[in-house]
Amino acid sequence: MSRTTRSTRLLALVAGASLVLTACGGDATEDGGDGAEGTAGGQGGGDALTVWIMEGTNPDATPFFEEVSTAFEEQTGATLDVQFVPWASAHDQFTNAIAGGTGPDVAEVGTTWTPEFGDAGALMDLSDQIGEAGLAEQYLPSLMEAGTLDESVYGAPWYAGVRSLVYNTEMLEAAGVEAPTTWDELVEVGTALKEADPDVIPFPVPASVHTTTPFIWGAGGEVAVQEGDTWTSGLDSAESREGLDYLVSLVDEHGLSTPAASTWNEADTRDAFAQEDAAMIISGSWTPKSIIEANADLEGKLGVVPIPGQDGGMAPSFAGGSHLSVFETTDQPDLAWQFVEMMTSGEFAQKWGEQTGFFPGTNDLLSELEEADDPLVAPFATQMKDASKTLPVTPMWGQVEGAQVLPAMMGTLLSGDATVEEATQTAADEMNEIFGS
Amino acid sequence: MSAPSLGSARRPWWLLAPTLLVLGVLLLWPIVRVVVLSLQDFGLRELVRGGAEFIALDNYVAVLTNERLWRIALPNTVVFAAACVVLTVVVGTLIALVLHQLSGVWRTLVTMAIMAAWAVPAVTGTYVWVYLFDAREGFLTGLLAQAGLIDLATQNLFSDRGWFYAIATLNVVHHGFPFVAVTVLAGLTTIPQELHEAAMIDGATAWQRFRQITLPLLKPVFAIVTILSTIWDFKVFTQIYLMPGGDGANRSVLNLGTWSYVTAMSQNNYGMGAAIAVLLTLLLLAVTVIYLRTLFREEEL
Repeated sequence: MSRTTRSTRLLALVAGASLVLTACGGDATEDGGDGAEGTAGGQGGGDALTVWIMEGTNPDATPFFEEVSTAFEEQTGATLDVQFVPWASAHDQFTNAIAGGTGPDVAEVGTTWTPEFGDAGALMDLSDQIGEAGLAEQYLPSLMEAGTLDESVYGAPWYAGVRSLVYNTEMLEAAGVEAPTTWDELVEVGTALKEADPDVIPFPVPASVHTTTPFIWGAGGEVAVQEGDTWTSGLDSAESREGLDYLVSLVDEHGLSTPAASTWNEADTRDAFAQEDAAMIISGSWTPKSIIEANADLEGKLGVVPIPGQDGGMAPSFAGGSHLSVFETTDQPDLAWQFVEMMTSGEFAQKWGEQTGFFPGTNDLLSELEEADDPLVAPFATQMKDASKTLPVTPMWGQVEGAQVLPAMMGTLLSGDATVEEATQTAADEMNEIFGS
Repeated sequence: MSAPSLGSARRPWWLLAPTLLVLGVLLLWPIVRVVVLSLQDFGLRELVRGGAEFIALDNYVAVLTNERLWRIALPNTVVFAAACVVLTVVVGTLIALVLHQLSGVWRTLVTMAIMAAWAVPAVTGTYVWVYLFDAREGFLTGLLAQAGLIDLATQNLFSDRGWFYAIATLNVVHHGFPFVAVTVLAGLTTIPQELHEAAMIDGATAWQRFRQITLPLLKPVFAIVTILSTIWDFKVFTQIYLMPGGDGANRSVLNLGTWSYVTAMSQNNYGMGAAIAVLLTLLLLAVTVIYLRTLFREEEL
């Protein structure tokens, strides 16, 4: 009796195992067959490349990557496995993947993270490949710089974006005001909006890095400054404090924000704007499209101006973007680079820019955009060209972001738990501790 | 023959082997790794390239001399856990007593409602509570404002340490009481009805009956639910991390669990993160041991 059960079990096991084996076998032959036609590049017929892409950049990412997959398979015979990663959890997911050795072959990496992961040895140095492909002169210098550490290039510039002031034209018209051009005007416009409709949030101030830095930079402050090899926080300088004083006064003195915003991130702020609860927000060049996607009523009611400077001109905003990086653990470095090259130059780079509202990472493609006179693109292009800055290019910056130094500072400022002087002091101390200065 | 006796001496080990193997791989090895990590200067670079340096107890010194431990993380963890354990056990017991009195359809209905609260995953439950307490449109914030307890024009409950943990307590108690209720109910059904009847004839009030009959008889049950609740509530992570500001952006609401995670994973300071985790484990073990000892010492007397 027991003998029968045992042999039955064994049989089941063998059957199960062979099912698994045949399944794999089937895939292999299929891929081999496909690959035979299209292996012009010679590499990796039947291989698959795992790619991590940030979620939400392109509202229609799936069809785009289906097209890319087809083209990539035609060119190399290899298939693409594109996985989408949400920005908010991406940094943790990267470090977890590095820890577990489960990283992808190619990943989109935020430009401020590239030095950190590159320095740690998680990313491959692409300088040779970029040189051979003749792309070194083509990529945008600022994005190249952001991915370069000790002459190694850990990320190929893919796309860039910049933030400006996005506003609801209907609300501004109803209040009888024009888009602000100075900080005083921002207060006046905000107050007028509030008087016209008390339910509207004129200018929500969230606890987010990229909505804060324009006011630090706009007043002449710096987030951090480099002297020799050491970085020191600039948050506690008189200029930075002046900018933050102004930003906080918008909230507590002029009541242009809402208490809820003190725990909002940029996406929450954008949602409030898309739901027509907020009138003016600091938002990225890639966002008008998704705002209209979220609320079709806003079609034709969006306006964009560069972020007003303190006394006119423009306040700089963060020129962020993404690199495509090859993970050091990949077993197909050539195939990975082929994919990176395909995505960052030519047809697909252009198409990605058109679909997302980001600026492509190459000079040629950017010039084309600058000349186009789209009211939802041109102000961003101006901001990008004339008033954009980068955050410190140091491996330590990723830790500063990870520690949420700036959001924590803004959180205590917005909840009224600390004065500008106290909050900037705490934040500067934390930052300096990470910098080791 | 000597073979059978040898076999029987080893037999327990053979029977234990699968369990020990699973525990060893899933529990002991990670614990050993965490302890080793906590003695190293381990960052992202070491993670990728290896070669971490041993720095003895430096991580522990750094944690123990950190003001954040004494003023924020430790009080948040201990006070929150104590409040959650007491409330979970009290609410759970009250519900169990009610359930014990109910019969038929009502009992089924109430049990189902309780089970629903239990079955909701912590992530979903947390988002529901966050939604209810939203600073602009939350239903419960609206009620609180109408009652004059808060001022919606200036307050965001999640920014305030006290309110933040009040909401978290509500969430954790709501999620944790069904287990207590069901376990205590199982205990209640084992108490002979005669005891209560006899007490009633003697003129005992409901409270006296609970105090003199139910409580002593169910002591082991209460011991179990309290210990388990203590263990769960000390290491609450999900419910804190997912609330606005709970992921480290609001420093005043960090507890030991989130502080450990944020230090290790977001700042890539794995050594110090591990040291915090080890301290949390030791704290938890100490609390459990003290609790068990008081319990069993009383029993012996």
